[in-house]
Amino acid sequence: MDTPSKTITRHRIPLRPYLLLLPAFLCLAAFTYWPMLQVFLASLTDKKRAGDAGDFIGIGNYRTIFTEADFLGALANNALYAAGTVIPSVVFGFLFALALRETTNLSAILRSALFFPTLVPLVGAAAIFIFVFMPDIGLLDYYLAKLGLSATNWLGDPDLALISLMALTTWKNAGYYMLFFLAGLQGVPQDAEEAAKIEGANWLQRVYFVIVPMLGPTFAFVVVIALISAVSQVDHVIVMTEGGPNNATNLLLYYIYQQAHEFYDLGKATAATVVTLILLLTLSFLSLRTMERKVHYET
Amino acid sequence: MFFRSAVGALCAGLIASSAVAAERIEFMFPAPVQGKLSREMQKLVKEFNSSQSDVEVVGVFTGSYDETKVKSQAAAEAGKPPAVVLMSANFATELAMNDLIVPMEQLAGDTDLGAMMEEFWPAVRPNAHFAGKVYSIPFQNSTPILYYNKEHFAEAGISKAPETWAEWVDAAKKLTKADGERWGIMMPSNYDYNGWLVQALTMANGGQFYNNVYPGEIFYDHASTQGALKFWRDFAHQHKAMPTGVTNSKQVSTAFFSGKASMIVLSTGALTFVRENAKFDYDVAFMPRNIRNSVPIGGASLVSFKGTTNTQKKAAWSFISWLTSAEKIGHWSRFTGYFAPRKTAYDLPEMKKFVSEHPDALRAVEQLAYAGPWIATYNTVAVRKAVEDEMQALLSDPELTFREAAARAQENADKVLAPYAEQTALSLQ
Repeated sequence: MDTPSKTITRHRIPLRPYLLLLPAFLCLAAFTYWPMLQVFLASLTDKKRAGDAGDFIGIGNYRTIFTEADFLGALANNALYAAGTVIPSVVFGFLFALALRETTNLSAILRSALFFPTLVPLVGAAAIFIFVFMPDIGLLDYYLAKLGLSATNWLGDPDLALISLMALTTWKNAGYYMLFFLAGLQGVPQDAEEAAKIEGANWLQRVYFVIVPMLGPTFAFVVVIALISAVSQVDHVIVMTEGGPNNATNLLLYYIYQQAHEFYDLGKATAATVVTLILLLTLSFLSLRTMERKVHYET
Repeated sequence: MFFRSAVGALCAGLIASSAVAAERIEFMFPAPVQGKLSREMQKLVKEFNSSQSDVEVVGVFTGSYDETKVKSQAAAEAGKPPAVVLMSANFATELAMNDLIVPMEQLAGDTDLGAMMEEFWPAVRPNAHFAGKVYSIPFQNSTPILYYNKEHFAEAGISKAPETWAEWVDAAKKLTKADGERWGIMMPSNYDYNGWLVQALTMANGGQFYNNVYPGEIFYDHASTQGALKFWRDFAHQHKAMPTGVTNSKQVSTAFFSGKASMIVLSTGALTFVRENAKFDYDVAFMPRNIRNSVPIGGASLVSFKGTTNTQKKAAWSFISWLTSAEKIGHWSRFTGYFAPRKTAYDLPEMKKFVSEHPDALRAVEQLAYAGPWIATYNTVAVRKAVEDEMQALLSDPELTFREAAARAQENADKVLAPYAEQTALSLQ
């Protein structure tokens, strides 16, 4: 047989890059894609507990959860919770970064102070905030009483409980997002701002027309991680409210946890997981697309 | 980390190969009341381990009752079934139904379980049995009980603890001070506690709450439960003697200690906690009655998960029988405030001395004569949550009627119970 000609070898699929990718792919497949596939397959069965095979019931679980008040409630709560935590924590993070942009001794101290809540584990912060929010004798009501406001049942009132959790999350996350904006601000070229200054743009105009557009990628990234944390963090719900009062703080992940571990319904739990994943992927994709489109590239 | 576990594995291997190896078993336990309990439990485990050389128990603290159920099931699913778990007494039924725990006869060897159970109070026995077999051994039990501030009572001119619901409402109204300065009565309405207290009120209102011989039925939309829902709700909205919204047990005990609440309902398991923290003259009394004196049992029992080896089962039994001996169960009762489910514990001299010094500890035991089993159905937590959600809504929303709430609780609970009912009572040839 002839040795293969050069033209053929050139068209052959190069093996080496795939071989190099193989270990990473195997890890991802074993620990990410395979479990995802299993979750998807389980969501099509009426599996009750782990170890149970369950019968194939098609989209039965999806039909059930979308007619169920608890799941729809959790979905609505999570949407509210996402809006009520992503927007304020990103805005505060940005404003903190803007205010503490210059490195001075004072700003270094303030940055650490604002970053501090990030270092507290969520479950610990939640345990502390139980006492902050305690009606009448808690820290919050103690100071509000000095302003003449009467006791408020922050975690026990269905209209306030979710807002209280949002406040805790914002307190905890804003300092973390500040870090990204501080880093992003380093990349905003001085000359663009100076040019705007010379043209007579005031502070607000400079922030809005120069800094914000240039921070497009940072905003996109921070919004996506904020969204993910709004769906993937549940410690405070478990510690502070267990989804109550009357499901007012029941978020998707807590709903999934309850269905899987307390109510013996893995089918429903996995269906809810799939829905949550799809939502999260769509939202992340959309926010990355729209915000990155606003990215300012240097000419 | 890797190095340490490698060394650990090596050591374990060496120990296992030696002839006098101690059988290592895991014991999961919750501590629903306070952190001190988990430290004391670890002390007991250590005491057991040093008392003999055949068994080594590893104590694992697992948080609340509900969390303990989740964690022990997760361990079993992962192929490491815990040999001994201190489980909320009412969960044994569904764990047995789901074939997750084994009947005690598989552990007990020659021990006569029937005779052993005779030594326990009649009220704690139903929750220990399923399908005619003993599935759990009671260890720490409680009932809801009324704690009250005697100084506030004297100030309001009330001479004795309320015995009926009418007296209870009357006292609560008299004790309340305007603008939330002081509440006449507070009761925890967070999940778990909530359902337990709705059951207590329902039983005091003449009801049975759930079918305690068939786990597929619950009686929410019935007069006795409806009345209980209304009674609790009225404390908040009609008599204004209780804060509105959901109040958890921490808030309730803190309010009592700071004098912001004159009467509270808590578990007898909190008795020692209250004794140590109340800086005023307090006392405990029976839960007041409407139709009859009756309360549900609470607390936890020891169960053993399926899938352990025979030697582990034997080891588990030697620990269980040690821990539930009259002496140890009595010690735990004195330390915590839970009553000792084993009657014979009260015959021991230390116990006699203790109850004469602390007569309040006896109140829970006296109330036992009127106690019944705790809600245990198919999928207990989901069934319980159906009424808890409605009770929470009633406490928050003054417009919601108790009839609407009871009807919805029934509807939601029936949905949860439906698969079981279909497979059993409704499965006809």
